[in-house]
Amino acid sequence: MESRVLKPILAVYTLLFILFLYGPFFVLAILSFQQGPEGGPQFPIIEWSTYWYRHIFGLTPPSRVAPLPLGGALFRSLTLAFMTMVTSTVLGVMSAQAFRRRFRGSGVVFYLIVLGMMVPGVLTGLGMSLLANNILGIERHWWSTAFVTHVVYTFPFAFLVMLAILNRFDSSVEEAAWSLGVSPWRTFRKVTFPLIFPGVLSAMLFAFTLSYDEFSRTLFASGRDQTLPLAIYGTFSVEIHPNVFAFGVLTTVFSFALLAVYAILMTMSVQRAKKMALQEEIA
Amino acid sequence: MSNTAAAAPSTNTGKSSSWWLIAPGAIWMALFLVAPILLIVYVSFWTQTTFKIEPTLTFKSWQTFFGSDTYINSLWTTLRIWLIVLVTTFVIGYPTALFVGLFVKNKTLSTVLLVICVIPFWTSFLIRVLAWRPMLGKEGAINIILMKLGIIQQPIEALLFTELSVVIGMTQIYVVFMVGPIAFMLGRIDPNIIEAARDLGADFWRIFRKIIFPLSLPGVVVGGIFVSVMVLGEFATAAALSGRKVNLLGNIIVTQVGSLKWAMASVVGVILTVVMGLVIAGFLRIVDLKREL
Amino acid sequence: MADENAVFRLDGVTRSYGNVTALRNVSLAVAGNEYVSLLGPSGSGKSTLLRVIAGFEPPNQGRVYFQGRDITNIPSFERGIGFVFQNFALFPHLSVFDNVAFGLANGAQPVAKAEIDERVRHVIDLVGLSGLEDRGVNQISGGQKQRVALARTLVMAPKLVLLDEPLGALDANLRHRMRVELRAIREKLGVTFLHVTGSETEALAMGDRVVVLDRGSIAQFAPPADVYDHPATPNVAHFLNRYNMFDGSLKDGQFAGPFGSIPITRVTPADRTTYAIRYDRIRVMPKGQGAAGPAIDAKFVASEYLGSSVMYFFETADRKVVEVEHHLSLGAPETYAPMQHYDLCWKAEDALVFGQG
Repeated sequence: MESRVLKPILAVYTLLFILFLYGPFFVLAILSFQQGPEGGPQFPIIEWSTYWYRHIFGLTPPSRVAPLPLGGALFRSLTLAFMTMVTSTVLGVMSAQAFRRRFRGSGVVFYLIVLGMMVPGVLTGLGMSLLANNILGIERHWWSTAFVTHVVYTFPFAFLVMLAILNRFDSSVEEAAWSLGVSPWRTFRKVTFPLIFPGVLSAMLFAFTLSYDEFSRTLFASGRDQTLPLAIYGTFSVEIHPNVFAFGVLTTVFSFALLAVYAILMTMSVQRAKKMALQEEIA
Repeated sequence: MSNTAAAAPSTNTGKSSSWWLIAPGAIWMALFLVAPILLIVYVSFWTQTTFKIEPTLTFKSWQTFFGSDTYINSLWTTLRIWLIVLVTTFVIGYPTALFVGLFVKNKTLSTVLLVICVIPFWTSFLIRVLAWRPMLGKEGAINIILMKLGIIQQPIEALLFTELSVVIGMTQIYVVFMVGPIAFMLGRIDPNIIEAARDLGADFWRIFRKIIFPLSLPGVVVGGIFVSVMVLGEFATAAALSGRKVNLLGNIIVTQVGSLKWAMASVVGVILTVVMGLVIAGFLRIVDLKREL
Repeated sequence: MADENAVFRLDGVTRSYGNVTALRNVSLAVAGNEYVSLLGPSGSGKSTLLRVIAGFEPPNQGRVYFQGRDITNIPSFERGIGFVFQNFALFPHLSVFDNVAFGLANGAQPVAKAEIDERVRHVIDLVGLSGLEDRGVNQISGGQKQRVALARTLVMAPKLVLLDEPLGALDANLRHRMRVELRAIREKLGVTFLHVTGSETEALAMGDRVVVLDRGSIAQFAPPADVYDHPATPNVAHFLNRYNMFDGSLKDGQFAGPFGSIPITRVTPADRTTYAIRYDRIRVMPKGQGAAGPAIDAKFVASEYLGSSVMYFFETADRKVVEVEHHLSLGAPETYAPMQHYDLCWKAEDALVFGQG
């Protein structure tokens, strides 16, 4: 049938597609080994060197290229992402749990939450700075105004993930626990939560990733101290140097490592949830 | 399993517990999402002088926007680029989604492929945007490769610092958001349906037109909404790749805020919101998403 | 039934979802230390009844009493009523021991570890699971999971245990063995079991008394023999799967049906007019040799060997299937010629007549 012809064509297409996706990354990686400090972020490679990697860690003699303002910005990005992750996951779990029962206005609330992922960062950022600056007269900080806007963005994702998980959740184990005299809160802690944990992990990872790289919302809502993406954006209008690329490679490698950790945690908790499915199949 | 398990269980404590569970999330969104957006509308009518802004209501900023060619052009540019990127991501992404979602039978392999598509996201968005510069420039990677292969004699100059470069950059960055949802919907198609259609004598194009594509439509809509939201709110890619030639609504908001022209920024913000609302409403007309969920 | 002896009582309970009414004004009182079966086809509301008693669903109207207390507004985790689920609902992330100990370890009153240990081991022994305490719950068989579910509930020493089709997920062999064990366990503990099932043989075999539910209302509540010999409504007779039912009309003390007109002495009031005769009360006679009394002409179609009895299938002139059961303890089975006509006879006093009048 046609699929004998179509499948290889699509396979080749997908390969080209992946190359298309990775193109910039390859270029970026190659250029990160550009000679420094004179070498610029373009071809040709004057000479291969690890100069820019050393530059990031401050291991090179001072040059006219300013080092990336990493230390503080990195710390702020990580902390902000962590705070966002915790808050939006907690909100996501609570809200998804509420949606297990039909309640009045659930349709409105659903769209209210999902709206957060549909409004582009420029708008929420703008709105937040208006709120802070012109109405409340407060200063904008990464840990207040930016934080709050990040959660607005990541909470809907966490919510949808938890909603999908809870929809598939068989509540008879909870009813069993209640029938044994265990309070609903205790049941949640000891029965429900352990079983939905893989979903919670996914939600947390999602939220962290989204917040860590989040840029447009932070641009407006951050105030003076910068997060990492803002620091990088700052270099846009000025000349860019391969140190940015070296940094990009490093962070990608770091993300790989994080994924490995996540995969391990995931596999361990998915085993538990699989038992439940198996149990039902046998029964 | 009792079918009443599908209806939510009740501990007989009544509806009150739903309220305290949903209240924090709902209040958070109302305070930090709805209020700011409403504020944008409100501020767009404020009076803006060179040095300060005050709550006296006026249409002045609105008149300035619609009276200025530059601003109107940016609206058209934004819409144009949005449409082009939407179509390109769809055209480029659909075949991949078809392959990953429909043709790859092995679940692990399709997950791996999707993960491969997601990995580029772990390089900071901005850095990925920047990486296009050395690719598209006169001495960029693409030109070097094309010249080495003898396809062109002179480097193509139009690749960088034009509208084309913005489109290329955006397409590459956002196409995954098309592939994901479409692949997901295609993966949910029961292969027996396709088998049955083949047994009835339909050829692949017929099957595609009548079965596969319609079933993938919710994924197309979700992908379309994601891409649209991101492209309409874009400004970084345009800033990095077009050398200030391409001015999107997002760029205007950023520059206006930069010079503290809040009222103007809000006017553009409202216009952007209206465009977004229309786009999303339009998409939701195509497919009733709530049913699919 | 005196209220002081009732371990639980339902008073006019109605439960509906939207425009579907699952329970209609149900009133029921069950004594302590009794095994009660709840029989009904799917959609009769039997699972809903159980869930209302357990507190998983509130009644729209009516009250629920447990040991004399009004528990209608008390949440399920404060009722002290045990529940065994059809799919067992074991905690997949806990071992057998931890499953059974769960209620004791996590209840409102803290229980000393030593006591938990002792009580859990005692009940595991009672249900015959000794040696399996440390297994994961997906490493045991279906029958063993059933016992874990039972043990988990029984260790809490409830006065009432609700069982929602507990044997439904087991294979036939296991089901028969578990029937005996369930009755034995219940007697040892002296608590009341309310056992929901869709199988009429199971309901009759297990209950000291049987509740028959029909479309949300209680059709009959009586010991098994009464239900079997004297079903209260045509539908109950129908659920028992043991009665041939004929439609007809009642007039002037006669029932007119497909077998002619028969004088009737006793009519049970019902919503429709039916004549019911049990499978094993019919005798098959060659044509023309029937004794006096009601009879119907039918041709033999097939027979089915059931072990202790044989079921014969006949078809009447208007294509209705009549089943005749012959218990082999009464004698060797007959062979009948397919498509041959016979007279199916019975004694008038063995029939049940339902109708208005």
